[in-house]
Amino acid sequence: MRRDNDVLEGMYRLMSLTRALDRVVGAHDGHWHGLEGEEAVAAAVYYGLREGDTVAPHYRGAITAALAKGADLGRMMAGCLGKTDAYHLGRHRSDVCGPPEHGIIGLYGGSLGPPLGYACGAALSHVMDGDGDIALAVFGDGTSSRGDCHEAMNMAAIKALPVVFVCQNNQIAISTPAPDGNGGPIFERARGFGMPGARVDGNDVLKVRAAMDEAIARAREGGGPTLIEARTYRVAGHFVSDAEDYRDAAEIAAWRDRDPVARYRAFLIEEGVMDAAAMDALDAKLVAEVDAAFTAAQDGAVPDPGDLMPEDVFA
Amino acid sequence: MATQILMPALSPTMEEGTLAKWLVKEGDSVASGDVLAEIETDKATMEFEAVDEGVIGKIMVEEGTEGVKVNDPIAVLLEEGEDASAAEDAAGGAETTAEPAPTGAPEEDARERPEAKDMPAEGKERPSPASARAPDRTPDWPEGTATKEVTVREALRDAMAEEMRRDEDVFVMGEEVAEYNGAYKVTQGLLDEFGDRRVIDTPITEHGFAGIGVGAAFGGLRPVVEFMTFNFAMQAMDQIVNSAAKTLYMSGGQMGCPIVFRGPNGAAARVGAQHSQDFAAFYAQIPGLKVAMPYSASDAKGLLKSAIRDPNPVIFLENEILYGQGFEVPDLDDFTVPFGKARIWREGSDLTIVSFGIGMKYALQAAEELAKEGVEAEVIDLRTLRPMDLPTVIESVKKTNRCITIEEGFPVASVGGHVASQIMQQAFDYLDAPVITLAGKDVPMPYAANLEKLALVTVAEVMEAAKAVTYR
Repeated sequence: MRRDNDVLEGMYRLMSLTRALDRVVGAHDGHWHGLEGEEAVAAAVYYGLREGDTVAPHYRGAITAALAKGADLGRMMAGCLGKTDAYHLGRHRSDVCGPPEHGIIGLYGGSLGPPLGYACGAALSHVMDGDGDIALAVFGDGTSSRGDCHEAMNMAAIKALPVVFVCQNNQIAISTPAPDGNGGPIFERARGFGMPGARVDGNDVLKVRAAMDEAIARAREGGGPTLIEARTYRVAGHFVSDAEDYRDAAEIAAWRDRDPVARYRAFLIEEGVMDAAAMDALDAKLVAEVDAAFTAAQDGAVPDPGDLMPEDVFA
Repeated sequence: MATQILMPALSPTMEEGTLAKWLVKEGDSVASGDVLAEIETDKATMEFEAVDEGVIGKIMVEEGTEGVKVNDPIAVLLEEGEDASAAEDAAGGAETTAEPAPTGAPEEDARERPEAKDMPAEGKERPSPASARAPDRTPDWPEGTATKEVTVREALRDAMAEEMRRDEDVFVMGEEVAEYNGAYKVTQGLLDEFGDRRVIDTPITEHGFAGIGVGAAFGGLRPVVEFMTFNFAMQAMDQIVNSAAKTLYMSGGQMGCPIVFRGPNGAAARVGAQHSQDFAAFYAQIPGLKVAMPYSASDAKGLLKSAIRDPNPVIFLENEILYGQGFEVPDLDDFTVPFGKARIWREGSDLTIVSFGIGMKYALQAAEELAKEGVEAEVIDLRTLRPMDLPTVIESVKKTNRCITIEEGFPVASVGGHVASQIMQQAFDYLDAPVITLAGKDVPMPYAANLEKLALVTVAEVMEAAKAVTYR
């Protein structure tokens, strides 16, 4: 990867922003799907995309994806609360559905799996349009069991579509541990479909970024799809209200010690890219921004009853 | 208490009739449902039944009397124990009971119907957008246009080819659509003309290609996705129903899905329960999906071209049995048929037959048979189920006062059920008979040839229903 300080700082900012969202939104919403432990994947995967690129993000990290693509924080927070300022006008939740106008294909179908196909369709439209843009399909180890996942990968390989599949493997699907959900290593499926596949340490933002750079370049050059399995761990519960009585606290603690944010901070300090004070200041600033945006959204107007608008069902 | 029995009205506009025959005499005990008399108009004869029990105290109008005004007293009914003097009092008009018009009343010329504004139901302040619009009666193509016979299969191919020439964003994708020219040869020749970039063969992967189609439409392309049959589309319900249909609304208008899902739908011939079902009602139920189900080749062509241009997802339901059937198609450079405009195949004043798709075959055959028996059916092809041209149906029913619907789909929550409910809500006072909704039988399609036939609608059933609603 390029040792470009803008990139390094940009990824830290996305990590820090992701953590700020967890802290602020998670404090208000029991259904918030936290990212603690998985911040490196979100930061590395969603940083630095082109404006025209399309992203079908994992629901766990969907707001980070939208913000990375230029979405407005205030409108995203309004979307979390179903307020009228939201991109979706209060018709759908923005924590899993980012704004299409910023190239985000959210979880519109409401079930995991179909967005992988939609990302392939977006990739096909980029091919047809000849714009050189690509698509990202990001999903969890749970979703990798869905038929949609296999069918999308197979089609993408056959048609050499410019799409990068990223499995954000946090080793657990709600309470189902990956070994009970996946018969074998997910990245090894790539060979069966006829595309390159790699497993990387999902807690090492630089490793994930390096794999992404390679895959994205391949896609842009017409080399077809790639499957990257970023192995990480869901330190957070499935959602904030999760009682988490299904796994060992010691296991969680062990992974918490491998915090990808702390690891990256140490790297940035050692390399002299950012110092601790600058990062602390950025962290505090982002928490304050997210908090202000969330508070403003709480005060925002709810949709008028007249906004049900059945006439909007058809174009 | 003695009550008067009044001359019944056989329909809302009947003013007078002939009391042809009394079937009871003074002193007879009658029970509810007993036939009291036969009433005639110039159109029909009907039996007039007692509503209450009692004793016929007095007959006030002799049989054979013509020109008896509706609601004139024609007899007096006594309660048990009352004597004739009560009848005399009642005959003087002390107490009257308006007998309701009996069911089963064929009647007079529909053209005598009062204007809609006089009908009570129309006077209510009730939103009724469908009926507020006047039916569009412009012909599908200008008079004098040359036509040629084209099969439905060719018409569909021509529609896709013309739209692909017109718009670079249109492409066709599905199993066997390219090299094999379509499992049913509907995409014949498209690969040769447009190449494999725009005519895309896929593996057996409904999640895969429906997903890519939806994603491509999200991205601004105009995919035409062929399902080898709509039975296989069941695999892709999440893509179709949860994503294609809903995203425009859910995204607050940011992203729509201009896609056509097309392929054969409904029963073919002995392909079993999972391959023989009509999904018209199923898809028509979903807000966000447009649904077309053409019968003729001109509609197949004109509607498919409109579907490809439509900014919404369209479910385009074809029929294997109709693919080879030839119809006259106008020889025009750019012939389209709008969605939401029914086609009146045959005008008639005795009853309205509403159908779509292959149901039209039974409708038209039955209408011909009925004409031989002097019954003139108006036959309406809905052509699209979303949007649905209810104004044309309602206007027709206001003329004929009777309606049957025909479809091959399952009978529960059917298209016909919806049409019937709308007729009830918008034209209740015009109905002279309950609407009969003919549909496939409520059973998974059996394999045996004779059972399969029984499970579908037959011309004989249509004839029977037509006679039932016209009381013949």
